[in-house]
Amino acid sequence: MFRLQGSKVLAVEMTGDSVHAKNGSMVAYDGEMAFKKLSGGGEGLRGMVTRRLTGEQMTLMEVKGRGTCWFADRASEINLVSLRGDKLHVESSNLLATDAGLRTGTTFTGLRGASQGNGLFTTTVEGHGQAALISDGPAVVLRVTPQYPLSVDPGAYVAHQGELRQSLQSGVTFRTFFGEGGGEAFQMRFEGDGLVYVQPSERNTVAGDV
Amino acid sequence: MTVPVFDPATLPADGNVNPYTFCVELQGSQWFLQKGKMIAYYGQIEFNGIGHGALERLVRTSFHSPLHAGDWVVAQGSGKMLLADRAFDVNSFDLDDGNLTIRAGNLLAYQPSLALKQSIVPGFLTLIGTGKFVAASNGPVVFMEPPMRVDPQALVGWADCPSPCHHYDHGYVRRAGGTPWSSGVESLGAGGLRAMTGIGGASGEEHQFEFVGAGTVLLQSSETLMPEQATGAVPHEPGVPGGGAGHGGTGGQGPLGSGMPRMPGQLGDLQRRFGL
Repeated sequence: MFRLQGSKVLAVEMTGDSVHAKNGSMVAYDGEMAFKKLSGGGEGLRGMVTRRLTGEQMTLMEVKGRGTCWFADRASEINLVSLRGDKLHVESSNLLATDAGLRTGTTFTGLRGASQGNGLFTTTVEGHGQAALISDGPAVVLRVTPQYPLSVDPGAYVAHQGELRQSLQSGVTFRTFFGEGGGEAFQMRFEGDGLVYVQPSERNTVAGDV
Repeated sequence: MTVPVFDPATLPADGNVNPYTFCVELQGSQWFLQKGKMIAYYGQIEFNGIGHGALERLVRTSFHSPLHAGDWVVAQGSGKMLLADRAFDVNSFDLDDGNLTIRAGNLLAYQPSLALKQSIVPGFLTLIGTGKFVAASNGPVVFMEPPMRVDPQALVGWADCPSPCHHYDHGYVRRAGGTPWSSGVESLGAGGLRAMTGIGGASGEEHQFEFVGAGTVLLQSSETLMPEQATGAVPHEPGVPGGGAGHGGTGGQGPLGSGMPRMPGQLGDLQRRFGL
């Protein structure tokens, strides 16, 4: 059971079940806990190959036991996401913890990922359960519907869930190269039905150096 | 505890979504926006650089700072856009036929009914007129009334009162001035020199900005200075304060670490150009 204690600490009550969390993010626990190192990118041999190929490495640990375990990461804001059979796409650096019952994997994102500076791949979380995301400042959750598509700055994008199509939208014109561009050269456009999480801060992106 | 989910109907019109995110509603209207502060938008919104030909008339009435022309864009169209800046506190302020001077890096956006000009204090911008603007601060903004002295790093801006002057504590003046009491070594010390000239950005608590007169002073509740873009140097002209090279900003240095003004059309510094 995931619960926020303040906005920067995640408390998880466990009764013999387990959670997956970012390596080293445990700050305290009571009761009996066992910590075991895992790796992201999916389980098994296929997962290992995927990790090697994609670079979307996430060092995860499995925490199992009885009691309460607290997680935090560099005083980042924590956002809880409930999954009911749908799929969550998230940058691996923004994923703090998931129910062990959720499947994690890696998908190809194409140019969009490259523009974010996080490589061409992103982490997916699927199944029924809860996940905890971290963001620089509390994330704003925006709903996308067919009549209201959304454009997001790649540096502020954290995660999205639901049936969304994403595309990279470029505002680059000849003016950009003369220093008179609109200043928002790349945007991620989301269409369909779902939720998008954005943070009130822009991390540096590869596209920013293009 | 449920996290609110926003859509175009539930987002506030020109209001805060949370303390760190501000939502601007455009209905065929225009806003000036500092590059790279837009995090998401719904609707049809176009972003154009200040140098865009079609904006000629707007820029003539509302934008008077050539030094910052490369850092600002005009958003126009209809929809709602979210503004945020490095997870700092963001707030909107209304000016009613007034004037307000603000640190250049703290100003995120303003309505074109306001006119933007460079303050005579390097690194600061002055807004004159009636309208709304959005500013960021590290921690909530605190309003104070002069007479008072403030830490340079905590100063966000001021309204209505005269521009501040530097105040140095007696100990600093004595060390820097080469007065009869001080030894020769001390009078040449780098600390004293820095304190006198401001070069090197040294400012302990020996140095404050002093405000007098009637008005309001805006402070941030943190002494962490926001990393600023180089604001460039004002022209070499007799009577222009800070007209020498290297005095560009009151705070941080730009990516190139130079005090050169950033003109539209200048090469290099591509990251800024893309607003990312």
